[in-house]
Amino acid sequence: MEKVITMEKNEVPFEEYLAPGHRACTGCGEMLAVRLIAKTLGDDVIIANATGCVEIVSSPLPTTSWRVPWIHTLFENTSAVASGIEAGMKAMTRKGRYSRKTKVVAMGGDGATADIGIQSLSGALERMHEFIYICFDNEAYMNTGVQRSSATPFGASTTTSPAGKQSIGQMTWKKNLPAIVAAHDIPYVATACPSYPLDMINKVEKAMKVKGPAYIHVLSVCPTGWHSQSNATINLGRLAALTGIFPLYEIEQGRYKLNVDPAQLSPIEEYTKLQGRFRHLPPEVLASIQERVTDEYVKLKKKAAEV
Amino acid sequence: MTKVLMNGSSAIAEAAIRAGCQCYFGYPITPQNELTEYMATNLSRRKGCSFVQAESEISAINMVYGASLVGVRAMTSSSGPGISLKQEGISFLAACELPAVIVNMSRGGPGMGSIAAAQSDYFQATRGGGHGDYRTIVMAPSSVQELADLTHRAFHLADKYKTPVMILGDGILGQMMEPVKFKHEAPAEPPIRHDALRGAKGRRSKFIKSLTSNDTELEELNWSLFRRYELIKKKETTYETFLADDAELVVVAFGIAARIAKGAIKTVRSEGLKVGLLRPVTLWPFPAEAVQELAKKVKHYLVFEMNMGQMIEDVQLSLEGKGEVSFYGRPGGVIPTPSEVARVISRLYYQKGLSK
Repeated sequence: MEKVITMEKNEVPFEEYLAPGHRACTGCGEMLAVRLIAKTLGDDVIIANATGCVEIVSSPLPTTSWRVPWIHTLFENTSAVASGIEAGMKAMTRKGRYSRKTKVVAMGGDGATADIGIQSLSGALERMHEFIYICFDNEAYMNTGVQRSSATPFGASTTTSPAGKQSIGQMTWKKNLPAIVAAHDIPYVATACPSYPLDMINKVEKAMKVKGPAYIHVLSVCPTGWHSQSNATINLGRLAALTGIFPLYEIEQGRYKLNVDPAQLSPIEEYTKLQGRFRHLPPEVLASIQERVTDEYVKLKKKAAEV
Repeated sequence: MTKVLMNGSSAIAEAAIRAGCQCYFGYPITPQNELTEYMATNLSRRKGCSFVQAESEISAINMVYGASLVGVRAMTSSSGPGISLKQEGISFLAACELPAVIVNMSRGGPGMGSIAAAQSDYFQATRGGGHGDYRTIVMAPSSVQELADLTHRAFHLADKYKTPVMILGDGILGQMMEPVKFKHEAPAEPPIRHDALRGAKGRRSKFIKSLTSNDTELEELNWSLFRRYELIKKKETTYETFLADDAELVVVAFGIAARIAKGAIKTVRSEGLKVGLLRPVTLWPFPAEAVQELAKKVKHYLVFEMNMGQMIEDVQLSLEGKGEVSFYGRPGGVIPTPSEVARVISRLYYQKGLSK
């Protein structure tokens, strides 16, 4: 019998595969997500982890937080390494030298996924390798000191998109990575956030059952880079979903489903006012962001309505 | 201009702006993020200049390629793994005879290695790095002031010889703060390159390419590059000597290792040991003539590097067997202290019987 923790009506695995004592910042949303995901994945897994916060804080060798097979890959090639692992295991299985269905999981940050790694990700999805890709999106290159990425939201101030008299910070809209991934027609795409732990766990479980590639985009609240209070992490994650800035949804075999669908979206100020990276934004810019967020949410709802 | 206290990466950025760098393309990697951040704040606010954060190192170097094609002074920077990704682009820049400045704030390797300072990229930098028969001028500064001075020179040399120039620093140089004096003001008008592509309105179109199916044409390109490299060797080789005039033993070291060696040499000099230093400032071209000149008097050499022995090959080649070369290295980002190096020097000094 596997030991479980009961949360409401749900059962969450008891076993921890990410050991405590890692070096993440206080209030890190990312490591919370990694911990819950590792619990769900179990130990019959091989994780390929791109350079980034998760990799750095969990593997200051000779110590490591990982209690499962784990390999560090370069920034641009996690999906390629995962493809290789999957292909290698397939070959071993075909030769009769391997019989288990070990799950291959690739992990990367938003920089590793949306910027430098998108080529290898797209290749792996197109070839339909059976693996789960999990993107931990903290909306900038946090590990190297908060440089903008293409997943940084419009208006956010980072060290390479500094806000000032001549600039309002990031000048482009956040790249819609789940949509890009969904365009590959893979069986399962989802967005998740550790502020909704059971929803995230469910999505990982679904991803594990899928035949072919699955992709989960996790919003990771980053107090260090977002200049937010470290005790506001869970709240910020909820607000991201409730304001429609980061809607939680899944796409199963092309069918959209909203998992958190508030009757009325909260105004985005509730989310932005808690973060220093948006502090400089004047009301008219906030209004334009609000407009875009609402538009995008309406589009998403429309897609979810098509069954 | 008075002296200002700055870290090495920011000093390179400021010096580049003052050298007329109009385009900078960066991608985050430790330990050189301060350079990218300085450019994000300061280059983008200058008229006619632009800062772009690329989506990868490969894109960054190819943006440099594009900017250099249209004739602006362009630069990129990275460290270890990022520089490896840039190599194809650097080879193209060399083949197309396009000027560019590339900064490598090198870190421990191989692989992702560490973010600590190391000198293990010497081979990659001095042997070309990418594919094909080419060289890049490689500068190895050893102080923040020199980072600034050599950055200015790098842009000048890149334009003069139409070749990519690399500044090979390391994690310490990039991060440490020292007073620095900028000797140049940014030019009011950026320099114009007449061979650049600018649209063919009203004249015949120009081509810049590196692919040819005519092998004699490619041979001619290689010969012309070779002649230029010979000229660079003759004119641009730079080095520094320190207490080498009466030395019985000469330490050869570059970059931050030379800084450590200098401290060690001061210590052993106070004990009466006749030890000097040769510090190549340009790693390619390597100061082979300076080594040969020294070899007329000095028979014993200690090559000290923060790697497993890379520059030692250039020292041995330059000596042509006329001296005895020993080696001391600390690879993997470990930074030796001057007293540690002093112990190594004095041990070698006595072992070789130089005290008599």
